[in-house]
Amino acid sequence: MKESRLMLIQYATAVAAVALVSVHLVMQGVIYPYATAISFSNILSVYRNGFYAIFLEALLVVVLVHGFNGVRIILQELRQTRSWTRLVDAGTVVAIIVTVAYGTRTVILAVFGGVSV
Amino acid sequence: MAVGEEKAKNRRGVRAWLNPYHYNAERWAYLFQRVTGLAILAYVLGHLGDTSFFVGGPTGTGPSPSAWSFIGSIFENSFGHLILILVVLVLFFHGVNGVRLVLAELGLIFRKPSAIEYPYRPRGLGYGQRAMIYVGIAIAVAAAVWAFLVLFEGMG
Repeated sequence: MKESRLMLIQYATAVAAVALVSVHLVMQGVIYPYATAISFSNILSVYRNGFYAIFLEALLVVVLVHGFNGVRIILQELRQTRSWTRLVDAGTVVAIIVTVAYGTRTVILAVFGGVSV
Repeated sequence: MAVGEEKAKNRRGVRAWLNPYHYNAERWAYLFQRVTGLAILAYVLGHLGDTSFFVGGPTGTGPSPSAWSFIGSIFENSFGHLILILVVLVLFFHGVNGVRLVLAELGLIFRKPSAIEYPYRPRGLGYGQRAMIYVGIAIAVAAAVWAFLVLFEGMG
């Protein structure tokens, strides 16, 4: 993918992240008192509200793409050899896939998994 | 300048960030944008790990009150809350300064270029950009105070 397009993704995810993180923080410290927000029963009801589960998944993808693409940009500035560029690009894709997969697993299990004792 | 010398100068890498000689506010904002970005990513990765304990951790199969209680006993204390306040501080600075960078990228907060004259200040930057940096710092501090009140005083 062209570098200009990757920068466009960086800016688009930045704007999206500002909106999504703001909502997330409001949910954690304004709408509910913090102690209630992090209680097991509240989190379970939040995850099992379909809209908020989709919101959390979107937050996960946006923040991780923005974060790892940011690290990629920093690393690309340090060296400009072809092998380094390929290594960093490949590492970024792997890091995004692995972390999004792990976070998505949490969302899926929280929504569909049976509650243990 | 010899080719090797020029190449060496361009390969200062991270060390170039850490040399504050002749830094202006925008240059400091650039440095903090990167440092806070890396710090936030580190927090996000940790947060991915701790929230996974809601479903029993890496080997869990579904929502687990005992695993959630276990992870809460590790992070829900004064030290953990202090970390959260620092995260809120850098997060808000990164967000507001990031908006400034997007606006700059779109060319919306640059002044018209003009001839460079003594004392050689970068005229194109304009007052809007610098104001946004200070607004970002003010919002970050206010958000950190809000986080302190929520976490330590039970507000919210």
